[in-house]
Amino acid sequence: MAVEKIAPGPRVHLAVLDEVLNLCRANSLWPMTFGLACCAIEMMATGASRFDLDRFGAAVFRPSPRQSDLMIVAGTISKKMAPTIVTLWEQMPAPKWCMAMGNCAISGGPFEFEGQYAIVPGADLLVPVDVYVPGCPPRPEALIQGFLSLEDKITKGERRNVIRRFKKSAGKNR
Amino acid sequence: MMTRTPEPATEHTFYLNLGPQHPSTHGVLRLFVKLDGEYVMEVDPIIGYGHRGHEKMAESHFYEQFLPNTPRMDYLSGMLFNHAYVAAVEKMAGIKAPPRAEYIRVICAELNRVASHLMWLGAYLMDLGGVTPFFYAFDDRENILDILDRVSGSRLTYNYCRFGGVARDIDDIFIEATRDFVKRLRGRWKDYNNLVTKNVIFIHRTRDVGVIDKDLALRFGCTGPVLRGAGVPYDVRKAEPYSVYGEMDFDIPTGDNGDAFDRYMVRLLEMEQSLRIIEQALDRLPDGPVTTPTPRKVRPPKGDYYFAAETARGALGYYIVSDGSECPYRLKVRVPSYGNLQTLTEILPGTLVADTICILGSIDIVVPEIDR
Amino acid sequence: MSSEDLKRALEKIVEPSSVHARDYERNGCLLEIGAEPGQLPAIARAARDAGFFLEFITAVDFADGPVAVYQFNECETISRTQVKVQLAREESLPSIGSVYDAALWYEREVFDLFGIRFDNHPDLRRLLLPEDADFHPLLKEYGKVHAFRSARDIYDDQDA
Repeated sequence: MAVEKIAPGPRVHLAVLDEVLNLCRANSLWPMTFGLACCAIEMMATGASRFDLDRFGAAVFRPSPRQSDLMIVAGTISKKMAPTIVTLWEQMPAPKWCMAMGNCAISGGPFEFEGQYAIVPGADLLVPVDVYVPGCPPRPEALIQGFLSLEDKITKGERRNVIRRFKKSAGKNR
Repeated sequence: MMTRTPEPATEHTFYLNLGPQHPSTHGVLRLFVKLDGEYVMEVDPIIGYGHRGHEKMAESHFYEQFLPNTPRMDYLSGMLFNHAYVAAVEKMAGIKAPPRAEYIRVICAELNRVASHLMWLGAYLMDLGGVTPFFYAFDDRENILDILDRVSGSRLTYNYCRFGGVARDIDDIFIEATRDFVKRLRGRWKDYNNLVTKNVIFIHRTRDVGVIDKDLALRFGCTGPVLRGAGVPYDVRKAEPYSVYGEMDFDIPTGDNGDAFDRYMVRLLEMEQSLRIIEQALDRLPDGPVTTPTPRKVRPPKGDYYFAAETARGALGYYIVSDGSECPYRLKVRVPSYGNLQTLTEILPGTLVADTICILGSIDIVVPEIDR
Repeated sequence: MSSEDLKRALEKIVEPSSVHARDYERNGCLLEIGAEPGQLPAIARAARDAGFFLEFITAVDFADGPVAVYQFNECETISRTQVKVQLAREESLPSIGSVYDAALWYEREVFDLFGIRFDNHPDLRRLLLPEDADFHPLLKEYGKVHAFRSARDIYDDQDA
C-alpha cells in the first residue's frame, strides 16, 4: 500500500508503537518477591529508603508470579528449590525477564565446591537469564545498574533515546 | 512438592502451601498447613530449600577457607557468626587476640545485632501490614551498614574477624560515626514507640498472640528473644561471657507472657542495651595492635570443642571435632532458629491464618541458618 | 538443679567409669558421658528432670561407625553435658522425642545426613534434602573429605 505524502500529522508507525510499549515495560518492571538467601536482603535494601527502586518504576514487588514480569533470582538455588523456580517462571505471563542476582544465581557462587551435592550452580541452568548482576551480595547500586541494563535490553538500547528518535522521525517528514 | 499424601479433606478442611515462595516467610520456608476455614488445624514446616551443604564444605576446606561461610549462614547476624567462629577456633588452637581487637569485635558485633533487630522490626511490621516502619528501620540500618562497610568492606556478609584479631584497624572516623549513630538512634526510640509500640492496631495484633511460655520454650530448646520473652533471663553473653563481654555492664530484658508483643519489646530493649555496650567499648578501647602472628594454616589439637555465643536470634554454638589437621573433621553449627521454628508445630494449631504470619514473624527466623 | 544433680542421676544409669569431667575452659563442656543406645531414654529423662534443655543432637562419622552426640545445657549455671554413643554401621538409636520435643527435628536431621535410624520416632523422614534423595551426604564415604579416621584417633589423644 503506497503511503501518500499528506500534510504533516499523526501517522500509525507500528515500529514506533513497539518502541513505546517497550519503553513502558522497561520503566514499570514489576519484580516478583523471590529472595532465596542473603541477596534477598540487599534486594530489600534497594527497595527501601536510601536506594529507592521506586524511582525506576520497579518497587511494586508482587508476591504472585501471575502479576509480575521480572523474576529476580536472588540467592542460592538448592536442588530442592529448583522445581519451584521453574514452576514460578512458567506461571509468569509473557513478556517476562529474569535477572540472576548474586554469584550464587550466576554460577553457584561460594557453594560450588568439589563434591557439592546441594545446589544448582546457576539460574541459567533452569530458566533463561537476561541480566547477570555479580557480587556476593551485589551492592544496591549494582542491582540498580542491573535494572538499568535490563531496561536498555528491553528498549534495545534506546531507553534514553527513544523520545528523541521519535521527535527526529516526526521532524523528518515535516 | 508433596512430601506425603494427605488424608482426604472433609467438607471444611483443605491443605494450603505457605511458601516456599511467599513474601512473609522470611526465606524459603514452606508451611504445609491444614486449614478448617480460616483456622489452622495442623502445620508441617518443611525446610531444606536453602540447604547449601556448609557442614560438608567444612570437611574439605581449611579453617581459614570456612571463614566466608560463616556470615552466609545467618546473613543478618553475619558479624556475630563470624566472631563466634573465629573465637571458637582461637580457643581450640590457643591463640589470643590482642585487647584492641577484642573490643573492636564487640563493637562490630553489637552494631550488627542492632542492625539485625532493626531489619526484623521493618520486615515484621511489613508482614503485619504497616509499611512505614520498614522505611524508618532501613534508614537507620543503612547508617550501621555504612560504618561496618567502611571497616570491613562489606555491607552484609562480613568477613572481618581473622584468627588472632581483625582484618584491619578502625580509625577516628569510625569511632566518631559510631558515637553519632548511637546518639541518633537513641533519639529515634520516641519515633518507634509512637509509630509501633503505642499503635493500637499493633497491640491488638500481637497481644496474647503466639504465647510461648517457659515450659514450651525449654522443651523445644528455644533461646534468644523467644526464651527471654517467656521470662527466662538466659543470654550467653552473661551466662558464659566470651571476648570482653564479661567487662561490660548491660541488662537482659525479659517479658512476662511470652506473646508476640513481649518478644517485640524484648528486641526493642535489647537494642538499647547493645547501644550501652557499644558506648562502654568505645570508652575503654585500648591502643595497640589488632592482630597477633598466627600460623598460616591453623592446626588445632585433636579433640572436640564447643563454643557458644549469642546472636540476634539466640544461642549459637560451634561444635568442632578436630583431628589435628588443617581441615575440621566435623563442624556442626547449632543455630538458634532451629528450635525456635519447631515451636510452630505446637503453637499454630487453633490460630487464624493471619495470626500465623504474625507468630512466624515474631519468632524471627532466618531460614538459611536452619538449613545450613 | 545443677550439673552435680545430673551427674549423680547419670551415674545411676551408665557405668560411673563412663562419666568424665571435661575442662570447661578448653572444650566448652563440663561433663561427658559415654553411653549405650538403650540408656538414652533414661538419660534424657534424667536431664529433663534436672531442668536441662536439649542443645543439639548430631553425629560424627568414623571408620568404625558413627558416634552420636547429644548435648544438654541449663540456663542458670554452666553445666553443659555431652552424651556420646558409639554406634556400629546400620545400628539404630531409640528416639527421645517423647522426652524432648526438640529432638524430633534433630533426629530427622541426623537420619537425613547420616542415615542413622531412630526407633519410635513418630515421623522419621528427611528434613533438609529432597524427599527422593537416596544418599546421606555427611557420611565420609560420600563426596570429598579431607580425612576419614577412627574415633580412637581423635578422642584418645584429646585433653580430658
